[in-house]
Amino acid sequence: MATVEERVKAVTARVLGVDLAGIKLQDEFRADLGAESIQSVELVANFEEEFGIEMDEDEALSVETVGGAVEYIVKLCREQGIEVET
Amino acid sequence: MTQTKCPEEPAGRDRLDAIFNPRSVAVLGVTATPGTVPYDIFYNILASGYRGVLYPVAPGKRSISAVRAYRYVIDVPDEVDLAVIVFPASVVDKALEQCGQKGIKAAIIISAGFREVGAEGAKRERRIREICDHYGIALIGPNCLGVINTDPKTLLNASFARKMPPRGRIAFLSQSGALCTAVLDYARAKSIGFSKFVSFGNKAGVTEIDLLDYLHRDERTDVILLYLEELRDGRALIDAARRVTRGDNPKPILAIKAGRTPQGADAASSHTGSLAAEDAICEAVFREAGIIRVQSIEDLFNSAILLAYQPMPAGNRLAIVTNAGGPGVMATDAAVSAGLEMPPLTRRTTDRLRRALPASANIKNPVDVIGDARADRYVAALEAVLADPNVEQVLVILTPQSMTDIDDIARGIVRVHAGTDKPIACSFMGASDVASGVAILQAAHVPHYAMPEWACQAMADVQRVRRWRQQRPEEVNGDLAVDREAAAAILEALPAGYLREDQALEVLKAYGFPVPEYRLCRSAEEAVAFAEQIGFPVVLRVVSPQIVHKFDVKGVALDLGDAGAVQEAYQGIMDNVARVRPGAEVLGVICRTLIPPGHEVILGAKRDAVFGPTLMFGLGGLFVAVFRDVTFALAPIDTGTAARMVREVKAYSLLEGARGTEPADVREIERCLLRLGRLVADFPRIAELDVNPLIVGPAGKGAQVADVRIRVD
Repeated sequence: MATVEERVKAVTARVLGVDLAGIKLQDEFRADLGAESIQSVELVANFEEEFGIEMDEDEALSVETVGGAVEYIVKLCREQGIEVET
Repeated sequence: MTQTKCPEEPAGRDRLDAIFNPRSVAVLGVTATPGTVPYDIFYNILASGYRGVLYPVAPGKRSISAVRAYRYVIDVPDEVDLAVIVFPASVVDKALEQCGQKGIKAAIIISAGFREVGAEGAKRERRIREICDHYGIALIGPNCLGVINTDPKTLLNASFARKMPPRGRIAFLSQSGALCTAVLDYARAKSIGFSKFVSFGNKAGVTEIDLLDYLHRDERTDVILLYLEELRDGRALIDAARRVTRGDNPKPILAIKAGRTPQGADAASSHTGSLAAEDAICEAVFREAGIIRVQSIEDLFNSAILLAYQPMPAGNRLAIVTNAGGPGVMATDAAVSAGLEMPPLTRRTTDRLRRALPASANIKNPVDVIGDARADRYVAALEAVLADPNVEQVLVILTPQSMTDIDDIARGIVRVHAGTDKPIACSFMGASDVASGVAILQAAHVPHYAMPEWACQAMADVQRVRRWRQQRPEEVNGDLAVDREAAAAILEALPAGYLREDQALEVLKAYGFPVPEYRLCRSAEEAVAFAEQIGFPVVLRVVSPQIVHKFDVKGVALDLGDAGAVQEAYQGIMDNVARVRPGAEVLGVICRTLIPPGHEVILGAKRDAVFGPTLMFGLGGLFVAVFRDVTFALAPIDTGTAARMVREVKAYSLLEGARGTEPADVREIERCLLRLGRLVADFPRIAELDVNPLIVGPAGKGAQVADVRIRVD
């Protein structure tokens, strides 16, 4: 099974239409990957679907980087009893 | 993204129709989790039986509750009339921008996180206002509960209030969202229905003024209820409310105003400044606007149900029918205190009552049908008093006694109510025993009140509405002879600060105020010469740009009877000022005639941050300083308002000639108020103005300005 990091990068590449290979953990969704605020909502929805978790929308939208998203999702998966590869 | 062509508005379609009667609605930011605002809004529109087409917009979701969802609003294949936005605040601007690109002309932003949360939120709110202006979007919100329209042609519950309220003739507008759900629940329990229900939140776009105009045109609304926390434009509210409450299609407006706007940082130094409490001005605004102000939600609905479901009474005469003497007497007291009249019944009515009621009954008003009365007796008495030409409305009181057939009496009242054009209100006193009877009354829209005193208060409010409609609107008095240019030459040339007394008097003179003959004298000799010219006794008052409070520096000398006294007083003033305020630049003194004693009144004006120029009136001395016995109005005023201001102070009886004194020249006070209103409306630079005191002589003898202070900024 792919790791959380790989899955987060894959979703990000698909939703934002950017090159998967170029995504780095320190990349900011808005500044580096060109996400418009409304696309962030789409990202959140896609992460929820990918991992089968529920996210608080305001909390999720405050996450700025890809690495931050990985950490946040790992934490949520643990809290919500979802097994993932870290 | 490409811009979709804006659909043309069909002729005659109101700008706000897209909010209340949209043919299609998109909910932007729907989530799939029941119990959250973004889901519930979507669900409530579905569940309300909305007659149009609904599109959920949920980026990243295929569907919401089995309805196909769209990624962005621009992906919706059809035209959308109304966007309901529930995205988090940080995303709202982008979503709204897309609405503009799609050509959507109306939006409701439910989301919070704008002006109400501080600077960052205020910035967001400015941004959405810019987007709305750019695309011509009529916006409700942000930070609101939403909009409900019970019109069967639309049936829209675009709000997070769970249940659609019953249909009715009352519209409710509220700045508070949380209050709305409580009001809906309260009203439902009393079978009170609504035509429209609007929570307008931060009113970044559509304001209560726009909504009042819309509801005035709305055929389904008879009464408008308004809950306001913040009033931004008092003058516009007055104009809009007057359009609504008077004229061809008058509709009453009842309002609650809670909270206070922060006062301006500039601490006011004059009487007017310190007294111009925002709430008192608000009271004046409502009165000028013909808005009935009430203090509680209970009062709001008590009066609304009478106005919405009963005909307007021809006058204020009331008959009471009761089965209990005590409550009848209490209700009589309450009615009379509230300004209602309890007329004697005609001979014909008392004969009819005598035949229908037992010998022990009271056949005079209030009619007592006696404790053992059943439905037949109530109906007979009610029909008799309704037929009486002296009676214009009836209050029926019931106390539950063992033989009282409550439901039958309620049904009897409903039957009589259906056949009369006079208003009826009921008070079935108690709670559980009378509940079924009350339900029968409420279902038939016969207004019911737990306490007869509440009914009397509501009837008194109806009288206020009736009197307001009869009152002829008076034009703002535009024909005052004023010399605007002379006042402008002084007011517009000066730096910010207080005017010297001679300058302030010149301004008042230019606006026709009764100013005593005066001159700025720069030496004792000049003062003596002028005093001899105008006649003794005279008054000297120091003139210095640095001295506002002349008495504090002993800069005033009164009642100077001859040349020697003037000479001495002039020197005395100069010495005093040199001692108390050594650095002050002294130009001389104002020399003027001593004004004979009279009633001392204060006329004040202040430019309020929210309401613009406001006027204050009160009697001088203790009445203002201690009792705060003052009235307010927005400037300019009309003759009716001037008369109202003077008569509303509690000490007015003193001006009428209490305790054997001569009545004061009230007309002259009114004229001065009109001039003052015109002056401060003409010159926005005037921040504060006090004529304190104006000394008023006996009726027909005029008044004189004894002191004036004007501050410009």
